[in-house]
Amino acid sequence: MSRSYLFIPGNTPAMIQNLDVFDSDAIIIDLEDSVNAFDKDAARSLIENFLTKYAFDEIKIYIRINSVDSNYFYSDVNQTADLAIAGYVLPKASVKAIKQLNQVSNKKIIPIIESPMALLRVEEIAKQQNVIALLFGAEDYTKELKIKRTLEGTEILYARSIIAIAANAYKLDAIDTPYTSKDDEEGLKTDALNAKNLGFNAKALIHPNQVAVINEIFAPSKTEIAEAKRIIKKSEETKQGAFSLDGKMIDLPIIEKAKKVLEKAKKYHL
Amino acid sequence: MKVSAGSLESSDCLITLSPSKELKITIESSVFDQFGDQIHEVILETLKANNLFEIAVVCLDKGALDYTIKARMETAIKRMRENNE
Repeated sequence: MSRSYLFIPGNTPAMIQNLDVFDSDAIIIDLEDSVNAFDKDAARSLIENFLTKYAFDEIKIYIRINSVDSNYFYSDVNQTADLAIAGYVLPKASVKAIKQLNQVSNKKIIPIIESPMALLRVEEIAKQQNVIALLFGAEDYTKELKIKRTLEGTEILYARSIIAIAANAYKLDAIDTPYTSKDDEEGLKTDALNAKNLGFNAKALIHPNQVAVINEIFAPSKTEIAEAKRIIKKSEETKQGAFSLDGKMIDLPIIEKAKKVLEKAKKYHL
Repeated sequence: MKVSAGSLESSDCLITLSPSKELKITIESSVFDQFGDQIHEVILETLKANNLFEIAVVCLDKGALDYTIKARMETAIKRMRENNE
């Protein structure tokens, strides 16, 4: 359960060695798009040496490896296999690609749903062994559909909805696509709220200055926490599966939801 | 043949290796007075771990920590060996 997943380029020591100062719940160290072909080996060695020397208890660290159909996939997995990471982020995900990764690793997997075909197969992807979350990659997805992205996100509404539904149906984390205008805070807020309202519980991000907004939006608000506390208190007092609170019917799904809100609030010290 | 790894970005270092009949380590760093010995030690240890004793190493340091220097050394050595294959 993380709210923010910050991408950090895998070959930049200045970013990597400061990964614990950005306040992101999770970090994705990238070996794919942000590392040029010539320096893939250098990035692998840098990450290996860094994570061998330093440990982080409070932050979940993932590595985005290169896709299974690239020339770098096996080298990425082999050189990072023994590192204490939370798992791999797998680009260009497909059922076949996840099975291929599971053949060479037991680590947890966050597949990136970033093609129309992956979207059509998203439920199968969600069911694969070791998959713990679904991450939407809207840039590649819209590129494949040859459409433009907008702030309103109507062009990705269907994809977002299906991914959020699949993730929630299989009790996985639903991680929304990054918002790429790094200096547009209002746009980021709108985009993140749109995703949250569709069922996403986290968002990936590409710049540290986006962390605070994302963490706030994907954490329970003070009102939500107070409401959840009242529901749990009344539930404990009445010891009934269903009861009335302020004229509203409260039953098991609402009580479970309230428990989740309080779990989140506790985790994030709210 | 020369090979390199790393960069001149802040917190990084650029390591260049070239053939030599003896061990030569050259370090340029703005923090040489404070950390020159430590940088030298990391380079030497990495060379020893890779059984390299006749080689010239130039390290242009921009404030790299030990793990970065070691990583850049290992990458440069790997590239040199691949070039020699």
